[in-house]
Amino acid sequence: MNGASPNPSAAALQARFGGAIVGASVSCGDTIVVVARERAHEILRWLKETPGEAYDYLVDVTAVEYRDRERPLEVVYQLWSLPRRVFLRLKVELPKQEPLAVDSVVDLWRGADWLEREVYDMFGIAFRGHPDLRRILMWDGYAEGHPLRKDFPLRGRFSRAEQVRQALTKTPEAHHSVEELAVAEAFQQLSNDARQKLERAGGPGGA
Amino acid sequence: MDVKPGAVAAGGDAAAGLISSPNWITSRLDDLVNWSRANSLWPMPFFPACCAIEFMATAASRYDISRFGMERLGYTPRQADVLICAGRVPFKLAPMLRRIWDQMPQPKWCISVGACASSGGIFDTYAMVQGIDAIIPVDVYIPGCPPRPEGILYGIMLLQKKIKGESILDPTLRVEQLPDERGMFLRPAAVDELSEPFGNSVHQTRSA
Ligand code: SF4
Repeated sequence: MNGASPNPSAAALQARFGGAIVGASVSCGDTIVVVARERAHEILRWLKETPGEAYDYLVDVTAVEYRDRERPLEVVYQLWSLPRRVFLRLKVELPKQEPLAVDSVVDLWRGADWLEREVYDMFGIAFRGHPDLRRILMWDGYAEGHPLRKDFPLRGRFSRAEQVRQALTKTPEAHHSVEELAVAEAFQQLSNDARQKLERAGGPGGA
Repeated sequence: MDVKPGAVAAGGDAAAGLISSPNWITSRLDDLVNWSRANSLWPMPFFPACCAIEFMATAASRYDISRFGMERLGYTPRQADVLICAGRVPFKLAPMLRRIWDQMPQPKWCISVGACASSGGIFDTYAMVQGIDAIIPVDVYIPGCPPRPEGILYGIMLLQKKIKGESILDPTLRVEQLPDERGMFLRPAAVDELSEPFGNSVHQTRSA
């Protein structure tokens, strides 16, 4: 939709944050802006809350590790503006010599919760300020590392027998508990009318 | 059917000799018991992936497993005779599969449907059990990715054939397998051997 011309948000970011913008490019019609790790959260908030930008929907948080081992890992934020109907991709580079950590954006988008957990699980990138940073695809206590890292062997680090043993000796209830799946705590976050409706029906608040 | 030959023999009467060794009566009884078991297998479907679609086709009207007395899919392990595992089983799912198997009462059998359930299939990775025989004992393996309904029916018929060869006098058949002190059901070396890649995948490297 944008053709090959860069999304004007890239220029706006450049003007507003200057030194925090490491680079901007266009790839396959998508504008990619690389930003400094320390200011990523601030920049994402600005993109979300500034009326002219209005990137109110976080499509995905993911990460990339390149085969070139010298290159840093990248955390990728794919944004979409529902009112303006434009995409913007933000990247944060994490050099491997430093601790892999970046600020969580769960306070901006609740939907980032599980996305960031997945990135943590697969790449070992810590999200500072995440309310519940646990593994999500692999089970809690999975001891072999972070599977999508390039130094992770395809078949895992342990022997097949050890993998089977670890799998068989864990208790499913510990990690797939009713509490984990319960929606009761989301009740307080519902809108007023939805809550009242549930209460009349004898829902969590009423029961 | 819980027959303990030793216990009966302690009675020391004619009945003891009657069923502690194969004879005309016990082989007729075997025939009857096996005929009824083989023709009223109640499956417990354990369908973690795509092979399940083929089983659904097998269960539906065109292939119609009710011809084999199997149309009642259990969905509860406590009222099932044969666990049908159709699909790849990740390590995360392994304890659930084992628990469902443990919840099934004897007599019970297991059919492993498809390449993944039987050997890990294309998923020779960190996440996947390389054949459910590392977790539970399997009676019939059905190859294919996925097997056609004819293949699944053939597997069911093989299982029926196996059941018809069983004897109520065999005390080893209905023994529950208990975990050893490591929490496993097979020796580690046996699991490693079962999980070895075969076919093309031996040419893959062990590293990343
Ligand atoms: S054998 Fe093929 S069809 Fe069956 S679960 Fe594996 S990938 Fe899917």
